[in-house]
Amino acid sequence: MEWPPRELKKLYEGAGLKVDWEEYSKVVGAYLKELEKARELRRKSADWAYIESRPEPLKTALKLLVETGDMKLVAMMYSLPLDVLNEERLKAGIPLVLI
Amino acid sequence: MSLAIVDACFLINWSWFRQRNDLLNLFTRLVVPTPVLVEVRTERARSYLAELVVSRRLLIAPRVQAVDQLALKLFEVIDAEPHLPTIDPPEAYALALAKHMRVPLLTDNAAPKLATRYVEEVKDVEVLDSLDVLARLYLSTRLRSKVEEFMRDTGVLFSEGRLRDYGVAP
Repeated sequence: MEWPPRELKKLYEGAGLKVDWEEYSKVVGAYLKELEKARELRRKSADWAYIESRPEPLKTALKLLVETGDMKLVAMMYSLPLDVLNEERLKAGIPLVLI
Repeated sequence: MSLAIVDACFLINWSWFRQRNDLLNLFTRLVVPTPVLVEVRTERARSYLAELVVSRRLLIAPRVQAVDQLALKLFEVIDAEPHLPTIDPPEAYALALAKHMRVPLLTDNAAPKLATRYVEEVKDVEVLDSLDVLARLYLSTRLRSKVEEFMRDTGVLFSEGRLRDYGVAP
């Protein structure tokens, strides 16, 4: 496989940003490994009964948060204020895992 | 005078921490960019901001075009990445502002910290998450108990690797 991927290189070059590709490769490798561990931890810790009891769009938002751990993405997707989503996250026992 | 730019996730997490005022032992003033400010909506987080305003420890940074240009570039490339965590426009702005002002960025989102490792334009920006800040605030003997307190109060967990790096792994 070509490294760095042509499309990605083009994207950064188009934006006029320089990238340390060796470091990028290390970051991606380490991050993906930790990401899976964090997802498992969220799945185990979550109070699924609480999540299932929430009305839409909160129910789906919390499920997506368990899978991704990405507060900002979930808040944006479901038009939820970030701190409102955070309060729901705490009630649902979903840990925010910092890698 | 030591300043730090603060992102919304960090502010929200610290608004739940019983010793949130300790943050002011590390930074004289916290700078909240206007795009970040609008993300704070709940009473708890707004009250925390109000406390900071009353004690004159909060600065609101207006939106500046020069900063917006770098913020937009960062947002475009990082958000289009399939492998790495996303960055949203307020967070990209906070990272670009930290670069512009040459002060640290406090955030609990992974994207800005990772970006400073491989995007040359922001490699000189210091990005600290809550664990980095706790480690600066408390000596190693107290660090473990403060990290546990923080995790209990905020529902934030730190990965084993991160805890090991600071010598506080369980």
